[in-house]
Amino acid sequence: MSKAKSPLRRLNETQSAYLLLLPFLLTYGLFLIYPFFRGVWISLHDWNLLQVAFNPDAKQFVGFENYVRVMWGRNIEWSPWARPVLQTLGLLGIAAAVTLNRTRRLTGATAIALGLAGVALFLIAGVYAGEEGRWFDRRFWPTVGNTVLFVGLTVPGVTISALLIAAALNRETRAMGLLRTLFFLSQVLSVTVVTLIWQIMFSPRQGLIANITELSGGSPITWLTDERFAMAAIVIATIWWSLGIAMILFLAGLQDISKDLFEAGALDNCTGIRAFWYITLPNLKRTITLVIILQIILHFQVFGQSHLMTQGGPNDETQVLVRYIYQTAFRDSELGRASAMAVFLFVIMGAFSIVQFLVGREEKD
Amino acid sequence: MLSRSYYWLVLALSIPAFLWLVPTIWMVSLSFQPNEVLARTTSSTFLGLVPIPFTAENYAALFAFGQTPMWFLNSIVVALGMTLGVLAVSTTAGYALARLDFPFKTPIAVLCLIGLMVPEQAVFIPLYTMFSDFGWHNSYHALILPRMAVPIGVFLMLQFFKAIPRDIEEAARLEGVSWIQIFWHIMLPLARPAMMTLAILTFLYAWNDYLWPLVSAQQRDYFTITLGLASIQSNFAQSEGLGRVMASGVIASLPVVILFLIFQRYVVQAMTAGGSKG
Repeated sequence: MSKAKSPLRRLNETQSAYLLLLPFLLTYGLFLIYPFFRGVWISLHDWNLLQVAFNPDAKQFVGFENYVRVMWGRNIEWSPWARPVLQTLGLLGIAAAVTLNRTRRLTGATAIALGLAGVALFLIAGVYAGEEGRWFDRRFWPTVGNTVLFVGLTVPGVTISALLIAAALNRETRAMGLLRTLFFLSQVLSVTVVTLIWQIMFSPRQGLIANITELSGGSPITWLTDERFAMAAIVIATIWWSLGIAMILFLAGLQDISKDLFEAGALDNCTGIRAFWYITLPNLKRTITLVIILQIILHFQVFGQSHLMTQGGPNDETQVLVRYIYQTAFRDSELGRASAMAVFLFVIMGAFSIVQFLVGREEKD
Repeated sequence: MLSRSYYWLVLALSIPAFLWLVPTIWMVSLSFQPNEVLARTTSSTFLGLVPIPFTAENYAALFAFGQTPMWFLNSIVVALGMTLGVLAVSTTAGYALARLDFPFKTPIAVLCLIGLMVPEQAVFIPLYTMFSDFGWHNSYHALILPRMAVPIGVFLMLQFFKAIPRDIEEAARLEGVSWIQIFWHIMLPLARPAMMTLAILTFLYAWNDYLWPLVSAQQRDYFTITLGLASIQSNFAQSEGLGRVMASGVIASLPVVILFLIFQRYVVQAMTAGGSKG
C-alpha cells in the first residue's frame, strides 16, 4: 500500500462510497431506470417504430388509449355467471382462504394471497363482451389466458416432480450426487438448444417419440401442430429444462430439516411415504411457497419455447404474452401498444415479486 | 451403513435420471451420424441413441464453412465482457452499500432493490429505441451493457461483504489506509468465492440469453451462438442437414456444460442465489 500520493487516498468515506457506487448507478440509471420510465412514456403515445425512426416527431400523445385498445372493448359487461367454472373456482379459493385461516392451517400472508387470487379470478372471469360488443384487441386476453395456462401446467409439473426427486436424493453419497448432476444438467442449456432438441423429439417423422410410438404400433402424433397437444409439448420441454433449479432449491430446504425429526418419526413407524407426508412437507412449506412464486415469475415470461417450437400456433393456441409483445413491437411496428402490454406484464410480475419478498421475510422470523 | 433399501433406491432413481438424459444423448448421437442416413431414418441403432453409423463430418463441416465459429466467438466475447462488467460494478457498489456510511444510503439501497422487480421483458422495447437513437445496435457493447444494470449482483456482493468481520477493516483504518485501498487490497481478495459465483451466474445468463440479442443484433455477423442456433433451426432438415444442426447445438452447449461439470458447486450456488432472489 505504497501509493501515498494517490489522490484516492485523500477521499473521505462519503466520497469513496460515491466513487465506488458511480459505475453501477450510471449503468443502472441509464439502462434500467430510464428505460423503464421511457417504456411507460412510449405506452402513452401512438408510436410507429418505422415512422418514428425516420422522423422523431411522428409520434403522437394519446394518453391511455393504447391501454384501452389492448385491454378493453365495446359493450364490455360483467356478470357473476359469465364463466361459471372459473368463477366458482374463484369463490372456492376465497372460501378456502377464510376457512384455512380460521382453522390456523394457513398463515396470514398466504391466506390473504389465496383470498386475493380468488377474488381476482371471480371478478376477471366475469368480464365478457356483451351483445354486439367486441374486444378491441381480440388476441390480447386469449394470449394472457394461454400464458396463465402455461404457467398453471408447468409450475405444478416442475414443483411436484422436483420435490419428489429432491426428497429421494436427499443423501450425501456419491451415487446421489451423480444422479443430481444428471437431473440438473439440462438446466444449463440455452433455450435454443432445448427447443432444438424437443422440436426434433416431437417431430412426427424423425422424432424419438414418434419412433417409439411406431415401434409399439401406434400412429405418431403431430405434437407441435395439433391444437390439442401443442401446449402440452412446450410444457413438457419446459419441465425437462427447468426442473433442476427447483430440485436444487428443495435440496437446500431439505438440509435445514433436522435429522432428529425423521429419527423420532421412525420410532413411531413413520417412514417412507408417511414421513414425506407428515414430516418433509410441513417443514418445507416456506421453500415450496418460494419455489412456486419464483417459477410463476420465471415462466410467466416464457418466450423462446413458444417462439421457436410452435411459432405461437397452431391457431394461436400457444401464443404467449411476451411473444405477443415482441410481435406487436417488431413485426407490426406498434411500439405504443406493445409498451402498454409490457407495462401490464410489469405490473403482474411486480405483484408477484412483492409477494415473494413478503413471504421470504415473514417466515424467516 | 448403507442399507439394501438404499441400493434399491439408487437403482430405481437411475431409470428416471437416464430418461432425463435421453434427449441430450439423442442430440449428441444425431450430431455424429451422416446426414444421408438421418434423412431416411433417425433410429438406426437403439432408436438412434447410439451413433452408428458414425461420422465426424458434421463437425468438420461446421468449422469449414458457415458462421457457427464466428457466432461462437461472439458469444465468448459477449459473455466474458458481460461477466467482467458485472463483476466490476457489482463488487464496488456492493462494498459501498455493505460497509460504508454515506448520505442517502438507504434510499439508494431501496432504489436498487426496486430494480429487482423489473423484468427484462418490460424494458426491452425502450432499450431498443434508445440503442437505435445512439446507433449502437449490432455491436458488442449493445449486447453487454443492459445486463450490467441488473442489480442482482450488487445484492449478492452486498450480502457477502456484510458477513465479513469488521476487525480487519478497522485495523487498516487505524493504520491510515484509505477506503479504496481497503476495498482493493483487502476486500476483493476475500470476496473471491462470491465473485466466482456471480461470474458463473452472469456467464451462464450471457451465453443463454435470447430475447435481447434477438432484438438488438440484426446482422448475422453479430449473432451470438444462442441466436445463431435459433436462426438455423427453423429450416433445419432442409438446408443444413439434421446432423449439422445438432452439431451446432452440441457446440453451443459445450462451454456451459463444461463450466457446469467443473464448477458444479459454484453453478448450483449461483443458481440458488440467483433463483431465490429473482
